[in-house]
Amino acid sequence: MAGFSELGFLFRLLPVFLIIYFAVPARHRESILLLESFIFYAFGEPVFVLLLIGTTALNYYLGEKIWKPGGVPCIYDRQIRRRKVFLRCAVGMDVGILAVFKCLSVFVDSALLPLGLSFYIFKMISYQIDMYRQEISDKPGWRQTALYFMLFPQVSSGPIMRYAEGGFGSGRQRSLKGLEDGLKYFTAGLGMKVLLADRLAILWNDLQMIGFQSISTPLAWLGAAGFSLQLYFDFWGYSLMASGLMVMLGYPFILNFNDPYASRSISEFYRRWHVTLGKWFRNYIYIPLGGSRCDKKRMVLNLAIVWLLTGIWHGSGMNYLLWGGVVGLLIILEKTVYGKYLQKIPVLGNVYVLLLIPLTWVVFAVTDLGQLGIYFGRLFPILGGAGIAVNRQDIARYLQSYSIYFIAGVSLCIPAMNRFWIKHKDHPLVVILLVIVFWMSVYMQSNSAGNPFMYLKF
Amino acid sequence: MTTKIKKLFKKCPFLILLVSTGLLFSLIGLYGQKNVYAGQEYDPLKEPALAVMFKGWKQDIYPWQIFDRESMQVMASGEGNAGGEDVMDQEDPEAPKDTDAALTAEDEAQSSGEAEESGNPGSGDPEEGTDADADGAEADHEAQERPQPDSGSGQGNVPDEGNASEESNVPETGSVPEGDNGSEESPAPGEGDASRESKEPLPPIEPLRESTREEYLNHISADIYGDAGVKRAAEYEFTQVDESYFDDALFIGDSRTVGLRDYTDLSEHADFYCETSLTIQKMLEENFPGLGTIEEALAKKEYGKIYIMLGINELGVGTTEDFMEKYTEGVAFLREKEPEAKIFIQGIMRVTGKKNSTDAIFNNSNINARNNAIATLADNEHIFYIDVNEVVCDEEGNLNSEYTFDQLHLLGVYDDLWKQFLLSHGVVTEE
Repeated sequence: MAGFSELGFLFRLLPVFLIIYFAVPARHRESILLLESFIFYAFGEPVFVLLLIGTTALNYYLGEKIWKPGGVPCIYDRQIRRRKVFLRCAVGMDVGILAVFKCLSVFVDSALLPLGLSFYIFKMISYQIDMYRQEISDKPGWRQTALYFMLFPQVSSGPIMRYAEGGFGSGRQRSLKGLEDGLKYFTAGLGMKVLLADRLAILWNDLQMIGFQSISTPLAWLGAAGFSLQLYFDFWGYSLMASGLMVMLGYPFILNFNDPYASRSISEFYRRWHVTLGKWFRNYIYIPLGGSRCDKKRMVLNLAIVWLLTGIWHGSGMNYLLWGGVVGLLIILEKTVYGKYLQKIPVLGNVYVLLLIPLTWVVFAVTDLGQLGIYFGRLFPILGGAGIAVNRQDIARYLQSYSIYFIAGVSLCIPAMNRFWIKHKDHPLVVILLVIVFWMSVYMQSNSAGNPFMYLKF
Repeated sequence: MTTKIKKLFKKCPFLILLVSTGLLFSLIGLYGQKNVYAGQEYDPLKEPALAVMFKGWKQDIYPWQIFDRESMQVMASGEGNAGGEDVMDQEDPEAPKDTDAALTAEDEAQSSGEAEESGNPGSGDPEEGTDADADGAEADHEAQERPQPDSGSGQGNVPDEGNASEESNVPETGSVPEGDNGSEESPAPGEGDASRESKEPLPPIEPLRESTREEYLNHISADIYGDAGVKRAAEYEFTQVDESYFDDALFIGDSRTVGLRDYTDLSEHADFYCETSLTIQKMLEENFPGLGTIEEALAKKEYGKIYIMLGINELGVGTTEDFMEKYTEGVAFLREKEPEAKIFIQGIMRVTGKKNSTDAIFNNSNINARNNAIATLADNEHIFYIDVNEVVCDEEGNLNSEYTFDQLHLLGVYDDLWKQFLLSHGVVTEE
């Protein structure tokens, strides 16, 4: 029941969680939310919930040793060294746990990767470093620490919020406005996930079903575009649902996607795509390595390290490493060679991003390198990728079936459109539209529950 | 009070609207289970009540129909039927009405009289199969009297029709060949081979038993026919033909046939009325985009061959009897509209071993059971049964995993195997 778009969550778990959360007095609210988060995670991971609890306890214990109030300088060397030792212990342990489970999932069984591990471990590392850097002013209690790591909206797929962004410790006030606004974000996210991403997923599945060697070049490009939109709405939708839930519970809205497809360079794209992950790598890897405030060679190395790590973080296949490498290389080239032209010449940057990003997503999507080669051969037949049994009319058929999702998807990639929705989110027509989106999503989910082939009818 | 609600509505209209519509839909789901949604399986532990309404919607049962008089009549007739089998009914009030509700969904205009009929054995009600021991005994008795399907020699026996229609759960089975041969007389008993040579249509094969209630509840397609039909159909000697053979061919099918259309050159010769998720139930109603219905297709052009491959989408729905009944009706319709055409019933293509071992519904034992059923429709004169699994499966009889990405569909490149198979399974009559 770990998915927010599942009926069991929407109509059973969530209403019960909210009613209890809103019914108890403010001082108990964090305890209740912690309990609910535990229940939520235990539904998804009845065994590995112990790992979450264990790492939470250890990180709380070590964090306590590291913490120092903000603005108070460390006077004694011994104290500084002591804090550093604990920080190294904590980060070493967290990285070690992540590495061990990642390896187990690759070499033994993919079921050995606990739900949300990459996300909550990153939160734990962030917590420890922020403690060390004295960026957390009030000393976190065990309840706040545990809640930060386990919060049910974020535990399985982020966003990777920083501790200080959560505003923990201040008794949560009941707010109908927050509930209403959060529900709207949540519904928008639900619609993106169920009505757009899940529909576009069928297109990608169809291409795999046909076999890449038999798709026409236009269909290969449509597939790349479709996958780019699918991934975006899947993850943005999920992030919106998570942030919507946070707002409903009285926490701040955490921005995770900021109109990435309107970017004018790849580096800008990754400042706007999965914002919290990008910030994490920036704050805890890139800047400590020296960032861009060092000589060019060093900066190139720093970028390469960050992007290879980002590739590894996303998955275990060679293609993820390749993807991280390609994105890293493009960003390095932008920083060193042609970045300024992209900014100077209007539209050039946009075209560059919209052309290259879908290609990098193809690398991300196709785990088999041989198949990846075939796909690129279809994208660029000039490189010698002659197809077999290709149907030249396939593009017309797929355009007919999917144009509605492309139109809706592309329109949601336009920043002005999003500003419009947010500005008018209280307008009665928008409210009614959201009600329709909600029930259409439920309709889709009702007819797919229990049927693994929900949108994959034969 | 009202001002309070007004104030609340002003503050959070979206929340209020969602909660109120949610409650309304839940009530509809709960109330409708007495009538329009009676056919749906509903497990309160697994899903909320409002899911029932949305599932019904997908099957064209709309929420407002819970107030329809007709639906109420169906409900009443359903209860009327149950009177005779109250033991079963008490155990599980949903299952026996399944067929009724499904029929309602398909044909809203169904009269209550028909609805009553549908409650009779003719509908293939699954509860019949397990209705105490008496039924089982009858089935055994029947099986003994019938020709043994495994022994080729008994094939020519004319089944005792009276017996079948009284006791069998599927009296409709085989009615097509029967109807067609009515005037031509059935072949003489014990002369299976001779009948083929003289181009006499083969007699229908009756099922060996009925689906049991357990099989129905577990979505298992019962192998009620055995392989008699498949064996008999395979006796026909097909001819190698070339592409022009398909110039007067019509292909009807689901997404797998879509693959055949899109990734071979057969569509340059034949017409394809196929669509993803097509079922035998929807075959005749379906309005194919840009083409129209099958009935219109048959009116427009005279087809010499009609190929059908359907059945994977409706696995897990109803019993083998239900499927067979619909298939028989479908074939009868095609025969009636296009009496000169050869009808090729294609066995449903199997799934890979991986899927077979992990899927409770879309597995090869269910597929084989249904193929065994539809194969019995072949009379080797007008209706033929061919099975592409011969060329796309591995030694274990599962779809070759190298030929597919999703365990179900042939990769575009391998649709040619299917085409070659069809080319080697032509029927050429001298006229």
